[in-house]
Amino acid sequence: MELKTFIKNFEEAVEDVEVGSLSGDSVYRSLEYWDSLAVLTVIAMVDAEYDLRLKAKELKQMQTLSELHALLKSKQSI
Amino acid sequence: MPKCHFSDVKISGIVTCVPPLEKCIDDELELFGGNVKQLERLKKTIGLSKRRVVDAQTTAADLCEKAARHLIKEAGVDLQQIDAMICVTQTPDYLQPCNAAVIHGRLGLSKNCAALDVNLGCSGYVYGHWLAHSLVASGGCERILLLAGDTISRLVNAKDRSVAPLFGDGGSATLIERTVGAPSAYFSLQTDGGGYDKLIVPAGGSRHPKSTETAEVLEDESGNFRSPENLFMDGAEIFNFSITEEPKSVKELLEYAEIDADAVDHFVFHQANRYILSNIAKRLKLDLAKVPMQTVERYGNQSSASIPTAICGELATAIADRPSTRLLLSGFGVGLSWASALVEVGDLAVCELIDYTA
Repeated sequence: MELKTFIKNFEEAVEDVEVGSLSGDSVYRSLEYWDSLAVLTVIAMVDAEYDLRLKAKELKQMQTLSELHALLKSKQSI
Repeated sequence: MPKCHFSDVKISGIVTCVPPLEKCIDDELELFGGNVKQLERLKKTIGLSKRRVVDAQTTAADLCEKAARHLIKEAGVDLQQIDAMICVTQTPDYLQPCNAAVIHGRLGLSKNCAALDVNLGCSGYVYGHWLAHSLVASGGCERILLLAGDTISRLVNAKDRSVAPLFGDGGSATLIERTVGAPSAYFSLQTDGGGYDKLIVPAGGSRHPKSTETAEVLEDESGNFRSPENLFMDGAEIFNFSITEEPKSVKELLEYAEIDADAVDHFVFHQANRYILSNIAKRLKLDLAKVPMQTVERYGNQSSASIPTAICGELATAIADRPSTRLLLSGFGVGLSWASALVEVGDLAVCELIDYTA
């Protein structure tokens, strides 16, 4: 799971985010349109693209896209 | 519950009744704090728009009774020949007696009629069919009236964005009869009680009786308002549950029945919302034309009445045009509980959506 691809998938999953505008250091929870609907669309993207279950609670615990990426990678290796 | 199948049982007619009062998310901008973009995203992504809701005097029993009367008239059923009535609801008129007894009296059914409620929501219509089919197949009943309806709009707090714009109300009636030679119906039923608190009305039952404390409305971390007497939904967890369990349940039932997904004419899921349904359909690689999903934007999420509303509202013509239509019905939600059924319908005496009038 490449960080670059993950960020692109993330940008596409969250509406009103321009593709190419985020990086690994971006704190996704401070995005203007980060709300319960964005949580759903990110969970759905992670399920569809990576076949992994992401919990809303886990999205609340992470800060940056790199951290979220690392969490998903750790799930993948289990 | 192992999977099971029954034969010689026929679905003879379906009627759904919805309240006439229509609400629209476009008129509720203040609920979203004037955030037009958020409202537009909800419309576009989740598929919310209009919903039908009852007034403070109308109950699920009223909607179900109206649907039952129309069904009985159109199908020409002799009231004396209904052997059992099953009422699926989580919004009964009384804590006791059950809705089935109340409606039994109002319809004037025979005393030789078993009547009981099933306390299930979104999975309830399929559970009701399973019960009705097994009662008929066992030889105990010739003719069963299955009523399924809820008025969830009366349980939500109007200032809770996570549920208020989503839920509508409806009541349905389905006639199930013994008919020798009727094709087999296949069922699978599942439960995960570990998730009982993901979709819950915490207060008002025996565990937490209503009190001045439970009537107190509190604001949550997302700025939504509700009291413990209101419906709470953990949307993200319900979503995760749905896209994990539903595709599995559908696949397993098709394998059990040895029927290919291509041989199913329509996949009628509980009409939770368009986003959940399109995600489930995508995972199952279904042809979207076979998956009705416009019920929520027209009527709202109607809990136990959503599957019959989708059948009567979106498939009546398709079913009438063919001698036989194979439907996969699948409900999922509160419990957590989920169930799927593979049934064939054709030659229905009635398949109609009607408006409620007092």
